[in-house]
Amino acid sequence: MPSSAAWARPEELVESLSSLDNTARLKALRDVKNQIIGNKTKKLSYIKLGAVPRVVEILASDTEVPLLVQSAAAVGSFACGIEAGVKAVLDSGVLPHLLKMLSNGDQKVVEACARSLKMIFQSTLAPKSDMFQSHRMELIIELLNSENESVAEVAASVLARCCETVDHQRALADAGGLQSLLRLLKGSVKTREAALDALGALTKGNKQLCAALSSMDQGRSLATIMKLVKDKSPRTRLLACTCLANVGKASPSSFQKEWEIRTSMLSVLVKLFDEPGSVGEEAPGVLADLVASNEELQEVALDMNTIEKLGEFLRKHELPSKQLAGVLMALAELCSRFQESRRQLLEMQVQAPIIAALEHESTSVRAAACSCIRSLSRSVKNLRTTLKDERLVEPLLKLLNDSSADIQELALSAVSNILLEFTPHKAVVFRCGGVSQLIQLSQSMDPTLRLKAVWALKNLIYMSDKTLKETVMGELTCNSLVDLIFDSEEKVREQAMALVRNLVYGDEDSVQLSLVQDAVLLHAVEKQLHESTQSEICIQGLYALSNVAAGSEVHKEAVMNIIIPGTSMGVNRNTSLLMKYLQDMTNPQLRVGALWCVINLTFPSSLGVSSRISRLRNGGVEAQLQIMAEDPCLDVKDRAKTALEQFSTVEIPPR
Amino acid sequence: MSSSKKVITREEWEKKLADVKIRKEDMNKLVMNFLVTEGYVEAAEKFQMESGTQPDIDLGTITDRMAVRKAVQCGNVEDAIEKVNDLNPEILDTNPQLFFHLQQQRLIELIRSGNVEEALQFAQEELAPRGEENHAFLEELERTVALLAFEDTASCPVGELLDVSQRQKTASELNAAILTSQSHEKDPKLPSLLKMLIWAQNQLDEKASYPRINDLVNATLEDPVT
Repeated sequence: MPSSAAWARPEELVESLSSLDNTARLKALRDVKNQIIGNKTKKLSYIKLGAVPRVVEILASDTEVPLLVQSAAAVGSFACGIEAGVKAVLDSGVLPHLLKMLSNGDQKVVEACARSLKMIFQSTLAPKSDMFQSHRMELIIELLNSENESVAEVAASVLARCCETVDHQRALADAGGLQSLLRLLKGSVKTREAALDALGALTKGNKQLCAALSSMDQGRSLATIMKLVKDKSPRTRLLACTCLANVGKASPSSFQKEWEIRTSMLSVLVKLFDEPGSVGEEAPGVLADLVASNEELQEVALDMNTIEKLGEFLRKHELPSKQLAGVLMALAELCSRFQESRRQLLEMQVQAPIIAALEHESTSVRAAACSCIRSLSRSVKNLRTTLKDERLVEPLLKLLNDSSADIQELALSAVSNILLEFTPHKAVVFRCGGVSQLIQLSQSMDPTLRLKAVWALKNLIYMSDKTLKETVMGELTCNSLVDLIFDSEEKVREQAMALVRNLVYGDEDSVQLSLVQDAVLLHAVEKQLHESTQSEICIQGLYALSNVAAGSEVHKEAVMNIIIPGTSMGVNRNTSLLMKYLQDMTNPQLRVGALWCVINLTFPSSLGVSSRISRLRNGGVEAQLQIMAEDPCLDVKDRAKTALEQFSTVEIPPR
Repeated sequence: MSSSKKVITREEWEKKLADVKIRKEDMNKLVMNFLVTEGYVEAAEKFQMESGTQPDIDLGTITDRMAVRKAVQCGNVEDAIEKVNDLNPEILDTNPQLFFHLQQQRLIELIRSGNVEEALQFAQEELAPRGEENHAFLEELERTVALLAFEDTASCPVGELLDVSQRQKTASELNAAILTSQSHEKDPKLPSLLKMLIWAQNQLDEKASYPRINDLVNATLEDPVT
């Protein structure tokens, strides 16, 4: 065969990698290296032939410079571009050898090993926390300060990949990493980019380190990064924006001319969308970070046609996961507040790809799609029109059982939104067993999941019919709901009270639910109103009672017994639950809630109204209402007047 | 139209030009940047000695780069690949398009030498898998293999692949990739400055009549049109 003249058969070549003759070994090594570089097929076939352990063995035990350089280069190539290669070199235990070789006296060896390390650490398979063990950390910082720029560059890019948790960030900063990285910004383009990348990882979601970076060298360090936003290299621009977006997110107004810089970052990022390769893929995600919870900036983004540009991406097929997640996250942020943004996006008819992304294999894509649906579903108008596609329900419900708690949480929020009011999705959720899922999640150990599940259930039963309410309660049970009313988390208690409020709102059948099982729910609400000091919880409780008070005579009587119980001595003035809340001056909403109870209890045409009014009068309520008719809060004032009018229809009996 | 334009006389223009101070060092740097980027290593060395201008890259790397470039220009693609892999294995490992073009050039050289059997085998073993990964590569591969179908390549519609310019194209692409890997810009600054000059003159033409430079080689000022 003619081509075999150039290279020996692969099996023989692999054999020669362990030859005892140095020259033969070197030749085999070079041949393998030159065959695999750029060629995935060859990489895989040499991995199968067991070449990797032999190559690593040379790195581990040889001392001659050419052999070391060639074996390091071959290791790097095996690890470049295919995960199987990364796995193979890591399995061969190459990491300690490569790290050790970075202190080799020969610069060629050092550079070759540095490059290989960089390749390995571009993969998600590379170890992360391992690199933060004290001795390795010291080594990396030492390398970061190396005279050899390519070594410093590799150290920075390794840090960029490994620094993932707050502990990592702290360890790195404590070891002086911030200063070392800032020094590298003066280096060549590649070094600068590696340093920026690491600075981005170091500052992500870390207020302390963002503040440290802002104040470093009287703000000059941050100013250097700001200049890089307009650098010639697209990657530098992107990474500079990443760092500054982190700083801006952690501490708004932390730098001068903040507004100008942010808007220029916005336009830089939008232009970067069109860059080929990883820069264009990552730019949307950085934009998402930049505009997160910044309404003014979101408005500027709207003017730049950002929605349209992002929407176009969704129309393309097969976006890389990272890009897809970034695009969806950016859209989620931009659509979180502005109906105009939502309208623009939905008019592009990209609902189907967003819904499809809910079932994507990548966790971050699923999370981003969920956020996007959550933002879009904040508008009931959308849910009834452009977002009425019922196909979104099933994948969302599936995500309620996702392995990631973050996704469960996002899905719960989205489900909560689509269950609000009379959306067409409500019936689908019901049909697909979504109710059971929500009830299960309301028993979760995770407080956030519990909270959001109760929230969703609360939305679900709002204004629903008897059958739905009974089904929900049949499965949830009154006892579980009582447990939730006394949950360890304040927010859960509040939502559980709100759930009761919605449950007993409506026709008489609904109100009757308050009295089932010896009025266990009503008693729980009563207990909270006596004990809780949290006004949000009590407000929900008072409205629950006022909803019950809108029911039949039996219901009204039950509420009377709670809020103004009669004793053998008549009514105890000023100590009743009702008077407590009518006189509460901490939160006007509490007074409004209490007034609604009074209004519903004294509704003119009802049967026992006169006896209730006289009981309330005896309890000092009318006198209190007269005071409240001058309340500083307009809402309170109006309701008090309404109640007084109703009192006036029943004459005061002569003494 | 021209009557409404402002006229700037040659004297005024030259006075303005004289007011702009350009440092000699900056001019020298521009020249050095050109020599280095284009790979004129000997000229760069001389220029460094004579003007004291520091090159923005290690001159030793230029020699390596030129050796790689020359290998492609001579049709010795395999040699070029080995050399560039010694220089930095990352270049071809992270640049599939360049890698494909080099392999394509190898195929072209095999066809040129009339080695049909080996050319076919090479196309099948080395290039076909790349074509499977990328549709654009597949089309280029088919175009290249078409060379084999013609006895007389002069009449072949893809005959230009055998042209020297194809080698030049591949060599330039490789040269640019090596420069990028060395954190160096792949194009010299001088041509883009000239482009900016032309652009600026075109912009100015709409507003004023002034001594224009039409002859870029000698940079002579023309008299303003009035």
